[in-house]
Amino acid sequence: MRPDRRQGFQGWSSPWLLALAVVVTAGSLMLVASDSRPEQIPSYVSWTPETIAAASAGDAFRGMLLAKRCEHCHGAEGFSDKSTTPNLAGMDRLAIWKELEDFRSHKRESRTMQPIAASLSSRDLADVVAYYAKLPVFTDLQDNRSFPQPRPDPSHAGMASHLISFGDGGRGIPPCQSCHGPVAYHIGVPSLANQNGDYVLGQLEAFANRNRANDINMPMRTISTLLTDEERYALAEYYGSGLGLEPGSNR
Amino acid sequence: MNWRKLRVFVLTVLVLCLIPATRYYQIDVPLMRYLKGSRTVDPLSLHLAGEFVENNLGTEQGADGSVTVRMIAQQYLFVPHCILVPAGVPVHLRITSADAVHSLAFNGTIYNVKVLPGTISEARLQFSSPGEFKTVCREFCGAGHYAMRSALKVVPRDQFPVLRSGERGNCEAR
Repeated sequence: MRPDRRQGFQGWSSPWLLALAVVVTAGSLMLVASDSRPEQIPSYVSWTPETIAAASAGDAFRGMLLAKRCEHCHGAEGFSDKSTTPNLAGMDRLAIWKELEDFRSHKRESRTMQPIAASLSSRDLADVVAYYAKLPVFTDLQDNRSFPQPRPDPSHAGMASHLISFGDGGRGIPPCQSCHGPVAYHIGVPSLANQNGDYVLGQLEAFANRNRANDINMPMRTISTLLTDEERYALAEYYGSGLGLEPGSNR
Repeated sequence: MNWRKLRVFVLTVLVLCLIPATRYYQIDVPLMRYLKGSRTVDPLSLHLAGEFVENNLGTEQGADGSVTVRMIAQQYLFVPHCILVPAGVPVHLRITSADAVHSLAFNGTIYNVKVLPGTISEARLQFSSPGEFKTVCREFCGAGHYAMRSALKVVPRDQFPVLRSGERGNCEAR
């Protein structure tokens, strides 16, 4: 004969007790949820070997066909006619891939680029960055491009060239070229040698104002805050005038 | 030639050479863990989840007043760039690297913490008086190594802001 073990639990069948249990559980869950804050994630990209393989496996020819859509702003040869729009010619493919991925996941704000990136598939992304990485970097004016701008005055060029080559150890500013080239590169970091000055300035200011926050582990948000307004302007002028392509010319 | 005297002399010189090594409080527990292969964090996805997401970095004040500082060392920055701690309170430092091997040293103090990717380096620090210390990287980590500097600010205990749970303190401009 089976003993009636359920007899002790008869009280639980009461609807009031059940409702109380539900309320207590929900309340404690809400308390736990409010204690742990949501994580602030700069970008969903993580440079694992799989990510790098996926981003590097693009077909440049297919990318060329896809890049017809980008020509209107970024130029037929990867050099833009507006100086606030980035040049893409010859840029590291992982760098463009990361930005497109961040536009797709709304981690980087842009009214223009977010819908465009959202309309591309993962394969399209890899293809189009493979194409732009293959475009050559010519400094002569071949089409209606805004790069290079006239040379800055020597004091600004000297200030920028010192920051790019040596940084400022006293304030803890690492040299730009230790990540952005040509001396050393960090993964997913764009080369700035053929970048438009106004675009560089805009991004430095956006990082400093936290309007752009998709740098993994906050290097650019930290550095751009440490730079003065004049230094940001000098750096943008230096890169925008093509001096970064001939390092050592203005020391 | 007195070989015995020479042997004693050479040994003494070698032993004397070891004395400067004791000047710094080298914490090699993470190195041992690293060599054994027990990685506790994924250096490539520190920003995605876990203890070192960006809004968890900085000084955390526990309910009992204890202080925990979480930092990331990366090429070529310490994040957060300026740390704020109260004087006379034991500080629990937790730091990890996002890329290479670094070494966090507070100039003018005895502390020197080795930082390796994949492991969390822990240290118990205590600063008796207020002041500002330069924080430098003492392990060659790449092209920008010599510019990898930041600051540690020790403020009197009553000037340290009271941090709510979830709030992190540091002395950055923003």
